[in-house]
Amino acid sequence: MSQDMLMLLIEGLGETFYMVAISSLVSALLGIPLGVILVITGKGGIKESLVFNQTLGAIVNAARSTPFIILMVAIIPFTRIIVGTSIGTNAAIVPLSIAAIPFVGRVVESALKEVDAGLIEAAQSMGATPRQIIMKVLIPEAMPSIILGMTLTVISLIGYSAMAGAIGGGGLGDLAIRYGYQRFRADVMLATVVILIAMVQIVQSSGDYFAHKLNKR
Amino acid sequence: MITLSNLQKVYQGESGAVMALDNVSLEIEQGEIFGIIGKSGAGKSTLIRCINLLERPTAGQVVVDGQDMTALSDSELREARKRMGMIFQHFNLLSSRTVLENVCFPLEIAGASREERERKVLPLLELVGLADKRDVYPAQLSGGQKQRVGIARALASQPKVLLCDEATSALDPQTTESILALLKDINKKLGLTIVLITHEMHVIKAICDKVAVIEGGELVETGKVYDVFTNPQSTTAQDFIKAVVNNKVPDTILASLSAASIAGGNLVLRLSFFGETTNEPFIAGLIRRFDIDVNIISGNIDHLQDIPYGTLLIELSGSDEAIQNALNYLQVQDLKTEVIGYVARHAHAAN
Repeated sequence: MSQDMLMLLIEGLGETFYMVAISSLVSALLGIPLGVILVITGKGGIKESLVFNQTLGAIVNAARSTPFIILMVAIIPFTRIIVGTSIGTNAAIVPLSIAAIPFVGRVVESALKEVDAGLIEAAQSMGATPRQIIMKVLIPEAMPSIILGMTLTVISLIGYSAMAGAIGGGGLGDLAIRYGYQRFRADVMLATVVILIAMVQIVQSSGDYFAHKLNKR
Repeated sequence: MITLSNLQKVYQGESGAVMALDNVSLEIEQGEIFGIIGKSGAGKSTLIRCINLLERPTAGQVVVDGQDMTALSDSELREARKRMGMIFQHFNLLSSRTVLENVCFPLEIAGASREERERKVLPLLELVGLADKRDVYPAQLSGGQKQRVGIARALASQPKVLLCDEATSALDPQTTESILALLKDINKKLGLTIVLITHEMHVIKAICDKVAVIEGGELVETGKVYDVFTNPQSTTAQDFIKAVVNNKVPDTILASLSAASIAGGNLVLRLSFFGETTNEPFIAGLIRRFDIDVNIISGNIDHLQDIPYGTLLIELSGSDEAIQNALNYLQVQDLKTEVIGYVARHAHAAN
């Protein structure tokens, strides 16, 4: 493989890493509170509000059922407002985050629902505020599951980021399509696939490690 | 300390309204251990949760330490709850925190500094006998140890009232004994008012001063444990007492028992005695005074609130006249004599 191709691969890896890292961070920052809200407003939650919960749930479902490639194009005006452009790596981060937020929300929701209701009751019996229950009981107790859920999200984002090429986002997936597929460069195709497999493996193993380390059950 | 007046709790279920508590009124004095016993579904869990308003009663009033709980705002209620501790059947410890951190939790909620938390909590770990487990996670503890952590945690905010929700129901008998002993110890040392709910009469018998029997959401009987045990009024109370006081007539005797007098037969009696009378030698007296033999079929003497209490199932054999005289003698004594029936002599192999 030529020096040029190697440079392209390194560049692609950098772009993929950048897109996935930023969109993972944004989706965690917004998706975790979303999951919390879904749980506490749900049936039997500490701030039960069923109409709100069902409305929010419907929005989450709608966002999740939109195919990513469509979502990416559909929200171009929004992307332009956020990052000032609709093309490029930064522009790809917006749809990636938008797609991942409801996913994280649902993952976190199911993690929080696993927390024994007795723990919430115990905290209430001590006079804990709803905020204290969320920060000191729900999230710490669900942390191993939340980490596994975030691992799942990061891996999905690595997959989605391959589509970022459609709006000029770059990254390894884009490289594989443009060089590996369209220019019949089997070596490039193979290299990108191997790098992606390695990335997914590393992410999964670290996720498993941290989840296990935090799980005291 | 705790006054419940005309509490009512109605759940709106899918198949209509369910009355979980029906006009429950109760008075719990400062420093006493008050037991509430009932079968599952009787409403006891709802009742204890109405005291700290984990369940809000549909109607009625809950007054704890002079404060009307039902009238408090959310934040006032949280403050009031900090003066009440609660322990649970399944312990409800935070799995992500060590023993020390779990016990510190109520103080953390109350905003105490780290130094203050540790200063208050370490003596509590000593009290419950878990000082050496402070940095261990709950998953590594036995059920009894978990409940000790639960107790220490409930005491951390120095409450005046401790609510125990089936605190020993998930524990084996020996561990139950040790937890009950700890509760009694705390009650004496700290003068803490303890309210406990249970479905096990031996828990009531072991540590409670007073008991309320609940059935179908209604209190069917309330009184001092000793009075309820020795003279239960409701069938529910009688059923519970049967579980711990074995005064059943053995099947072999029952099979040959007849209610009517049998000429030359033996008389089967149940004697129940309380308090001072327990110390008197009735059996010796019977044999000495009358020309009869006394055969003890079964019996037990126990202590309730340090007062001796016992039942004896005996069989008198002798001439019909001697037996009648013996019965007359027993009936004027300060004990409860019940005629169970008559059996033909040597109708069974008990003697």
